[in-house]
Amino acid sequence: MVEASSVEIRKVNKYYGDFHALKDIDLSIPPGKVTCLIGPSGSGKSSLLRCINFLEEYDSGEVLIDGKLIGYETPGGRRMSRRKLRQMRSTIGMVFQQFNLWPHMTAQENVAEGLRRVRGLRKAEAMERAAQALDRVGLSDRMANHPARLSGGQQQRVAIARAVAMDPRLMLFDEPTSALDPELVGEVLNVMKALAAGGMTMVVVTHEMGFAAHVADQVAFLDAGELVGVDAPARILREPEDPRIQSFLRTYHERNVI
Amino acid sequence: MDVSIFAEYGPRLLSGFGLTILCWLLGTVLGAALGLLIAVAQRYGGRSVRWVLQTYIEVIRGTPFLVQLFLLYYGGPMIGLRLDPLPAGLLGLTIYGSPYFAEIFRSAFRAVPLGLIEAGRAIGMPELAIVRRILLPVGLVSALPALVNFSIILTKETVILSIITVPELMYQTQYMATMTFTYLEGYLALALFFWGFVEVISRLGRRLERRITRHLIERS
Ligand SMILES: Nc1ncnc2c1ncn2[C@@H]1O[C@H](COP(=O)(O)OP(=O)(O)O)[C@@H](O)[C@H]1O
Ligand SMILES: [Mg+2]
Repeated sequence: MVEASSVEIRKVNKYYGDFHALKDIDLSIPPGKVTCLIGPSGSGKSSLLRCINFLEEYDSGEVLIDGKLIGYETPGGRRMSRRKLRQMRSTIGMVFQQFNLWPHMTAQENVAEGLRRVRGLRKAEAMERAAQALDRVGLSDRMANHPARLSGGQQQRVAIARAVAMDPRLMLFDEPTSALDPELVGEVLNVMKALAAGGMTMVVVTHEMGFAAHVADQVAFLDAGELVGVDAPARILREPEDPRIQSFLRTYHERNVI
Repeated sequence: MDVSIFAEYGPRLLSGFGLTILCWLLGTVLGAALGLLIAVAQRYGGRSVRWVLQTYIEVIRGTPFLVQLFLLYYGGPMIGLRLDPLPAGLLGLTIYGSPYFAEIFRSAFRAVPLGLIEAGRAIGMPELAIVRRILLPVGLVSALPALVNFSIILTKETVILSIITVPELMYQTQYMATMTFTYLEGYLALALFFWGFVEVISRLGRRLERRITRHLIERS
C-alpha cells in the first residue's frame, strides 16, 4: 500500500490575461481515491489539474497537498522557494496527453532520470529501479528502446513508470489516452486501474466515461471554468441534475453510439 | 608554372595550413561556447540581463569583422589590452561568431517542446539539470545543421586574420605569391583548399547528424 496524499482545493481562481479560466473552484480529493475531471474541451480541466502541482500558477485561493499549501508561502502571499516547490513536486507524479518522454533517452533512462537527478541515486541503482518500474507496466522487453521506437500505448506506460518510480503519493493524469489509437487505450487504462487498486490518490482528466464510471470514486464536472458538480460516478453520470452535465453526456453518448 | 616553388614554400604553407585549421576549430568551439552561454543566460536571465545581451548581439552582428579586429588589435593597446596577433585573432573570431551561435541556440531551445521541460519540472528536477539533461541535448539535435553551416562560414572568415599578421594559410600564400609572382597559382590553390575544407566539414556534419538522429527515427 502506498502512502497516499489528499488534495484540498479552495476558492481557486486562475486567469490567462483577462480570461477567467477557473472560477472559485472548491474540490476535495480524498487520499487513496480516484477523482475524474470531466467536461467540455476548454472548460479548464487541464488548468485545474496543473494547478495541483503548480505547473500552472493560480491567482487566488489555495491548493493544499496533505494540508500543505503549494506554490505560495502563505495564501495570497509570496511564492514559495524553488527548492520547496521541487520537493513537493517530487511526490506528485504527472502523466501528460502527449507522453512527453525525452526522445534522446531510452525507456529505462527516461525512468531513471528522476531517480538520479531528484532522488540522487547512483546510475546503477537508478537503472535497476527503473527496470523494476518498467517491469510493472509490462515493458521489461522494451527498456532499451528509444521513445520513437515504441507505440503510443507503450510510450504512455513508460511515462507512467517514470512517474511511479519516484514513489509519488499522488498521481495526476491529463487525458492520458486521448492521443492513442483506440486499440491501445486499454493497455494504459489497465495500468491505471492497477495503480488505483494499489491505493494511489489519482486525479484523472479524461473523456473515457467507462473509466470514470467504473474506476472513479468521484467525478467532478467542469464547464466554462466553473465546477458544476461533484458526485459519485453512478449519480453524476447516470442521473445528472444539472442541464449542462445532461447535455454534455448526451453529446458524448451520441458520438459513441455511431 | 614551377612546382618547385610549392616545394620551397612547403613548410610555410604547411604551418599556415595548421594555423588555419586551429583558428577555425578554436573560433568555432569558443564562439559556440560563448553563444551557448549567452542563449542560456537570455532564457533564464532577468530583463536587464536580456537587454544587455541583446544589445551585444546587435552590436557585434551589425559591425564588420575587420573593424572589430582592428579595434581589438590596434585599439586595444590604447586601453591597456595588448595582445599578440594570434590571441587577438582568436578572441576576435570568438566574439565575432558568438551572436550568430547564440541565435542558433536560442531558436533551437525555442523549438524544444515545452512538454519535455514540464515533464522534468513535474518530477522536481532542478532547472540546471533540466537545461543540461533535456534542453541542451534535445536542442542540439535541431541546432546541428545551422551550427555546421555557421562553422563553414567561419572557415572563410579566418583569412581576415592575415590582415593583423596572423601567419595562417592566407598570410603564407600571400607571402609566397609576392616573393615568386605566383599570384594565379597560389590563390587558385588557396581557393581549392578552402573548397575542399568546407566539403569535408559538411560531410562530417551530415554524418554526425545522421548519428545523433538515428534513435529519433520512428519504426516503420
Ligand atoms: N496558456 C494559456 N494562455 C491563454 N489561455 C489559455 C492557456 N491555457 C489554457 N487557456 C484557455 O483556458 C481555457 C481552459 O483551458 P484548459 O484548462 O486547457 O481546458 P481543458 O483542459 O478543459 O480543455 C481554454 O479556453 C483555453 O483556451
Ligand atoms: Mg485539456
